[in-house]
Amino acid sequence: MEEFRQPIILAFVALYMGICIWVGIWAMRRTKSASDFFVAGRGLGPVVVSLAVFSSTLSGFGFVGGPGLVYATGLSSIWMAVCSALGYATGFYLVAKRIRMVAEVRDTMSLPDVVYARYGSEAARLLTAGTILLGVLGYLATQILAMALVLQSILSATEMFADISLLACVVVSSAVLIFYCVTGGILASVYTDLVQGIVMILAGALVVITAANVFEGGFAEASSVLLTNDGADIMPFGTLGVMASLSWYFMFGLGLAGQPHVATKMMMNRNLSDNRVILPMTVFGYLIAAMLWISVGIVMRALVLGDVQLPIGSADQAAPVFLSTYAHPILAGVVFAGLFAAIMSTADGFLNIGAAAVTHDIPKAIRGRSLENELFWARVATIVLSIIAASIALLSDQLVALLGAFGWGTFAAALVPVVIIGLNWKGATARGAIVAISVSLLINFALQIWQVQIPYAMSGGFVSMLTSMILFIGVSLMEKPKPLPRDIDRIMEL
Amino acid sequence: MKSIHFVFVLLLIIAGITAYIFMAEQPPGATGLQHTSINGLSVGGDRGSQVSALGNAPYYFQVAVILLAGAMLYMGIAPHRRDAQLKLFFAVGLGFALFVWTMVYTGYEAYLATGESNIAFGFPVPTTWMLWGIWGSFVVFDLFYVVAFRRYFLPKEDEAAFDALVREIKSEQEAL
Repeated sequence: MEEFRQPIILAFVALYMGICIWVGIWAMRRTKSASDFFVAGRGLGPVVVSLAVFSSTLSGFGFVGGPGLVYATGLSSIWMAVCSALGYATGFYLVAKRIRMVAEVRDTMSLPDVVYARYGSEAARLLTAGTILLGVLGYLATQILAMALVLQSILSATEMFADISLLACVVVSSAVLIFYCVTGGILASVYTDLVQGIVMILAGALVVITAANVFEGGFAEASSVLLTNDGADIMPFGTLGVMASLSWYFMFGLGLAGQPHVATKMMMNRNLSDNRVILPMTVFGYLIAAMLWISVGIVMRALVLGDVQLPIGSADQAAPVFLSTYAHPILAGVVFAGLFAAIMSTADGFLNIGAAAVTHDIPKAIRGRSLENELFWARVATIVLSIIAASIALLSDQLVALLGAFGWGTFAAALVPVVIIGLNWKGATARGAIVAISVSLLINFALQIWQVQIPYAMSGGFVSMLTSMILFIGVSLMEKPKPLPRDIDRIMEL
Repeated sequence: MKSIHFVFVLLLIIAGITAYIFMAEQPPGATGLQHTSINGLSVGGDRGSQVSALGNAPYYFQVAVILLAGAMLYMGIAPHRRDAQLKLFFAVGLGFALFVWTMVYTGYEAYLATGESNIAFGFPVPTTWMLWGIWGSFVVFDLFYVVAFRRYFLPKEDEAAFDALVREIKSEQEAL
């Protein structure tokens, strides 16, 4: 079977992409309004929502960047994953119920809509939409680039596509993504998330079993190899040290519910009581899929430091090299499909909230109403955003890095205080929200532009998130809060 | 003290510890050293000097973060539903999280002092505490959400009150 490895991998990837296209066509028939396009008419069942929430959280980073980081720096980055139980608890204790209630009462379609409903401030809505748009472009550019690089690595290993260009891979992979996002909107996005989530869980579980069997003594032997070679890497804080790890824990644990592509999905469930089922399914799905991140990184590092495997070219090759060397061809096919699933499930969520920002939120903030024929313009915006992001990915490494900084940390810093605290504290004010978002953007931009090295490798996102949370509460405490609209006030009593 | 004030104080404490860490002199190799022969792979360097440069600041930092997480989760429960049993659960749950964190940190310090660690469940003991304990200490809160959903998070009367609000708004909109 080994001689068919590449065709098998290609077949799995092609099958997966075919399913995505089919889901796009299926969802197109059910997408009749902007509300269907952006929030699926708030009619999704608990299984779909839970898999959509977890698969959106774990992007391609969890399948490629994560194992690469463990290979390069030991367990430092695992603090981003072990905080997931806290992250989801924060999301469901503080956001899920209220955001769903606000969505129903105010017929909101996006997170900026919710921010407006809570604060009654167009400036806060505009800043939230602007933050989302910047973040979406950055995240999308990095995800499209990752998707194209993976496709190129698969295709270039075959005789027929040995010289395939990165541009061609960007076009092919983006075309599938754009197709199902444009035709089916969020409905296609969440139903492909369902497929993607299942593939990711399957891939995670199978890879852990494979990784555990690479060394005869399992993970215990891999740990012993690492302990005798360096030791710091397999200890809880890895080689980057304790403060880098703890700053990630803070940012990822408390920041998860501030991610707009995650919070938006909490508006889509059919019944409020479904949250009781959605939370445990989400936590379980993430746990299984994230095990790939930990196990592949540790085993590859132990193999290289134990002189069993030759050093790899770059850390990001840890997962691909592991799959091509140690995984059965069918498993490699499932995992490569899972990798595309991980990337696409995050990218489609971003495309959707980005299109909402362009056609719904920003026009509403500026001229008081969204664009006419919103569904049509949402589809156009989805295509335009994809093309801009793909162009950024292809043409400017620097811009990718700069916009990439508007990723997790920026969303967490800008939106955690405004959304998580704001929906649970009546004393929060619009001025507090505006100051928190503005300062967090400034800090993140400044850290990126001036390439500021923070002591002990602490995360820049942590610094901006901590600052914005303090400013948000501090500014709000200094003001006399305005009375809330009756509906919002009553929701916040529940 | 209201929850929000507690959250604010904890944020200021975290900011204070962070400022102290920023001002502490960073020993060479505190964030890892490039491996001598393998490109793209870093090794630990002198971990002991990093810990001694910061004292117990990282320990107290994480204690404050765990308490902050607890205080924020507590804010998610409507004030009139915060009864004694809820407070007991939060006290026990956060106590468990602090215990786990203490096991991670002291286990790590013991490793730095001796250079040795036993393997348990496939990993060095402090790492096993980190992988399963740190994750598990907040899974307890996830499970509590499932078990106590109808008591604290969405009681039937709250659901009915919300349905009434929706009906009220719809009838107002129809009247317009």
